[in-house]
Amino acid sequence: MNPQEVIASLLLLSGCLFFIAGTIGLLRFPDVFSRLHALTKADNLGLFLICAGPAMRREPLCSAGLLLIVWMLGLLAATVSCHLIARRAVRSGQMEPRASEPPACVPRTCVPRTCASRTCASRT
Amino acid sequence: MRAPDMRVPDMRVPDMIGLGIDAVLALAIVWLALQTVRSRDLFKAMLMFVVFGLLMSLAWARLHAPDLALAEAAIGAGITGALLLVTWRRLQADGHEPADSEHPPLPLWLRLPTAGGASMLVASIGWVALELPATPGTAGELAWQRIDDIGVSNPVTAVLLGFRAYDTLLEMAVVLAAWLGARAVAIELRPGALPGPAYAEVPLVGALLSLVVPISILVAVYLLQAGGNAPGGAFQGGAVLAAGGVLLCLTGRLEAAAQTSGLERVLLVLGLVVFSLAGLLVMASGGAMLALPGLWAIYLVETALLLSIAITLVLLFAAAPGLRRAS
Amino acid sequence: MMSLILPTTALLLLLNLAVGLIRVSRGPTPADRMLAALLFGTTTVAVLLLLAEWMALPALRDVALLFVMLAAIISVAFAGMPTTDEEEP
Repeated sequence: MNPQEVIASLLLLSGCLFFIAGTIGLLRFPDVFSRLHALTKADNLGLFLICAGPAMRREPLCSAGLLLIVWMLGLLAATVSCHLIARRAVRSGQMEPRASEPPACVPRTCVPRTCASRTCASRT
Repeated sequence: MRAPDMRVPDMRVPDMIGLGIDAVLALAIVWLALQTVRSRDLFKAMLMFVVFGLLMSLAWARLHAPDLALAEAAIGAGITGALLLVTWRRLQADGHEPADSEHPPLPLWLRLPTAGGASMLVASIGWVALELPATPGTAGELAWQRIDDIGVSNPVTAVLLGFRAYDTLLEMAVVLAAWLGARAVAIELRPGALPGPAYAEVPLVGALLSLVVPISILVAVYLLQAGGNAPGGAFQGGAVLAAGGVLLCLTGRLEAAAQTSGLERVLLVLGLVVFSLAGLLVMASGGAMLALPGLWAIYLVETALLLSIAITLVLLFAAAPGLRRAS
Repeated sequence: MMSLILPTTALLLLLNLAVGLIRVSRGPTPADRMLAALLFGTTTVAVLLLLAEWMALPALRDVALLFVMLAAIISVAFAGMPTTDEEEP
């Protein structure tokens, strides 16, 4: 078991871990946009690690080059797909992107200069 | 390339994991097929079907059939998926409310015995196929022994363009007939299945096109060239080229033209004509019909086939007589 | 050891796929189902690369290349054509 194999195995297993993380995000996040966010980022990082794993073991350089091209095309496809799906979701009116709510700020404990919330500053 | 090994090896741990992979794939494929048929929501059924195509490609890969995996990926997952989604969009735009299935399901006493009967039929065929003893002297074995006469080492290409070249010739005729049939029907439908130029302004799509379309041309030519010794060939290359064309249609770079241009007509019939001419010339000069004389002839015919398949698939997708660059 | 890690990773990714099927089947909006299709595309590419290594079939890398190239087609088809009553930004 040479060090190449150990590194390759570690890369493969961590890639798998990122894929699992992406799927957990897909199932557990509340709306389309956060799911897209989780999926696109985690899955593409996982794909990179899985492309890198076999590339470590390969002697001919063109195979590693092919794996690199596969990953980069995957990145491009995921980027454009994510944008288009989100765009369609917004414009079909089914989903509003959630406006971020200001954090709850109790007026008594809120000191104007250190509190970053806009609502808090407007109350004092 | 060694001949396929018919013996069942002893089970070791990697083989058991392989069995696990196959089991998960098989269950997922069957479940997807059930969901495709049973879904009341049309979009859900369509997407299940596309995912089914993806998993079928994996199944072909597991069965050591990369040629079929290539074809399934290009056609089943790519072009068919785009076709179904565009159709869904058209239905929505026309106000057909595709969300509800209109037909009530068949009664249970009809469905269960049919499903049970079909499953038992498939299971018994599979069991018989697995139990058959390997008989010597079958056509596959003879072809495998004589494969060097054709000049290519990929057995799929040798069969498609050498041993069973007549089938491929007739398949090209079928493809052309499909195109003509589609034109005959589509005359009555509303033209303009393709998006207008407004969609061309979405920013990321331009970058996608500028990278993917040239690469699809490159990959198509690569698959054509690789078809001699490795999985690939005219059909897979043609499907990839068609996918690039479909992408151009979907993003508004190509729009429908009212007439089939001269170049498109030539490309549509090129595969059939070149293949037939090659076969007839060989016969005229003394050989058997369609016994292509060498590797160069195979590549020539495959190039013509690739161009014909690509243009036919793109024009079928666009449902238009021709295409031209969007103004 | 690689002959163990490769199929195990492939099996885990396939189980991943199977779990993602829940989102395709359940997801309330079409966008949810579409993004599960995105998951499928990427995971299938990863599984194909692993199978290419494990089953010693380098042609499966070409299949993976095809998959990534076509992955965007479905999203472009889904994002769809602007209808006449949609406003352009």
